Amino acid sequence: MTRRRLIAAALVAGPAAGALFPPPALAHGIVSRTDLPIPVWLFGWAAAVVLIVSFAALAALWPTPRLQAAVPRRRLFRLPAAVDVLAGAFGIAALGATVYAGLAGVQDALGNLAPTVIYVVFWVGLVLASVLFGDIWRAFSPWRAIARAASWVSSRVSKGEPPEPLEYPAWLGRWPAAIGILFFAWVELTYKNRDDPSTLAIMILVYTVVMLVGMALYGIETWSERADPFGVYFGLFARLSWLERRDGAVYARSPLAGAAKLSALPGTVPLLCVAIGSTTFDGSENGPIWTRVSPHLTSFFGGGTGGEQWGATVGLLVCIGIVAAFYRIGVGGMSEVGEGHSPGELAARFAHTLIPIAFAYALAHYFSLLVFQGQAMAHLISDPLGHGSDLFGTSHTGIDFNVISASGIWYVQVATLVCGHVAGLVLAHDRAVGMYRDVRDAVRSQYWMLVVMVGFTSLGLWLLSAVNT
Amino acid sequence: MKRAAMLAVLVAVIVVAFVIAKNGGSGSNDRTTSNAASGAPVVIHLVNGRPQGGIRKITVNKGRRVRFKVISDVADEIHVHGYNLHQDVRKGGSVSFDFPATIEGIFDIELESRSEQIASLQVNQ
Repeated sequence: MTRRRLIAAALVAGPAAGALFPPPALAHGIVSRTDLPIPVWLFGWAAAVVLIVSFAALAALWPTPRLQAAVPRRRLFRLPAAVDVLAGAFGIAALGATVYAGLAGVQDALGNLAPTVIYVVFWVGLVLASVLFGDIWRAFSPWRAIARAASWVSSRVSKGEPPEPLEYPAWLGRWPAAIGILFFAWVELTYKNRDDPSTLAIMILVYTVVMLVGMALYGIETWSERADPFGVYFGLFARLSWLERRDGAVYARSPLAGAAKLSALPGTVPLLCVAIGSTTFDGSENGPIWTRVSPHLTSFFGGGTGGEQWGATVGLLVCIGIVAAFYRIGVGGMSEVGEGHSPGELAARFAHTLIPIAFAYALAHYFSLLVFQGQAMAHLISDPLGHGSDLFGTSHTGIDFNVISASGIWYVQVATLVCGHVAGLVLAHDRAVGMYRDVRDAVRSQYWMLVVMVGFTSLGLWLLSAVNT
Repeated sequence: MKRAAMLAVLVAVIVVAFVIAKNGGSGSNDRTTSNAASGAPVVIHLVNGRPQGGIRKITVNKGRRVRFKVISDVADEIHVHGYNLHQDVRKGGSVSFDFPATIEGIFDIELESRSEQIASLQVNQ
């Protein structure tokens, strides 16, 4: 009973604490506009809905697992292999155009094609596209396409068998992906040259070389599924999708079923914590806490833009650490329940429940960036270098900032966070009833996941909400 | 368990209601530099190309006019993002902006060639 009270208190304290601290506005890789913060009344209602939905879910969810067994899928249509060739060619062309624009175009964040392609279309757009359409990045990935083309050519040219790829070390798991995404987040949010087109272009080239070497050593599929940071990152979100491709056809499945099948290789939880923590840092950058702390950090690291960069690096790592610690506390609490699963085992087996949270954070946070800066693609593709060309006759189109109102954005943000919350709870519940022999233990273990989910969702809402600084 | 859950929901609702009641109604309670829509425009003094007293915040409601004046000791171009307005300012000179607030959101106002933010324009609903 005492523990129950403790949890209930924590659930209530989470959003309430969020309401007491004055919350911030937002900043991103290429900034020119930020959202109006969610007003307090909407924040309050959203927090209330989250709590009520959570407790209703505890009472109403199913007693036996539904997402983990063989889930029925419905065949929709055949997808010929030629689609891969076309998509891969498009990916390679887009990669080439972005690198070329970055190197040869004007060195201006908004006038050059490269920063918008990287920070908006790629980093945000593909997350949403992966959830809507499944793992399309596998087909479009220029690195996978180059490697496949190279292996096809070499198999034509050379007579002998191609050399066997090295065995990918099991302990490495998804760690390369976690470190790669951390590095990308660092570049986007803290690096002082984050929107310098030529720097970005050079980074793409280095990334390309690393990916091709990795694929050559360990095999294209193994490397793309475990080590290629963006392949893994988009692949995680694709698991939420209702579309699945296998054996040359596209199937419809239950939307969360793919996530339940995630094998939690080493590095998976860190990767998701990086995803959630970096968005948290981006959201708190204009907030009161960071505004107060950052001048001290900046001067500690010697002041100037360099000091700012390293100060922000500390902020980024702290945010990721907080997210990781919070999850760890949740699974630590869960390990006390019932048959005594170890915290490490539980952290891995519930890792997939963080995917919808990470998606909700990313979409809620970057939705308006996608809607507004995404429109800039119309004029950027006509004038990719910023030299005044007009390739497609669209170089004079602007950005219509009134396509969606501020309140429209708020409702999308709140709806996304609440849906992500529900999806996380459903996945966690389904895993628990599959794991614990006693249904009562399963339900009790989920009090802890409830704390984790309510905490993350309240934090997400708080980061986007108002009273401002 | 049912009773504990009911209790928690109840407490949550009360807390939330309290928060709403406490903050509700007054949408803008702690604006530091508001642009009194009809009053004198905000004046931003730039010393060495930096805004005196830190980055200024200009807040207006949609449909009103945004009015501010920049007095600068450096020559540069002033850029209001989002609205995409540009005006040059001479060294030791000043320049005034006066335009209708038609787009909601928070927008940077920058010294373009220095990429130095001098103010942020917040247009509320």
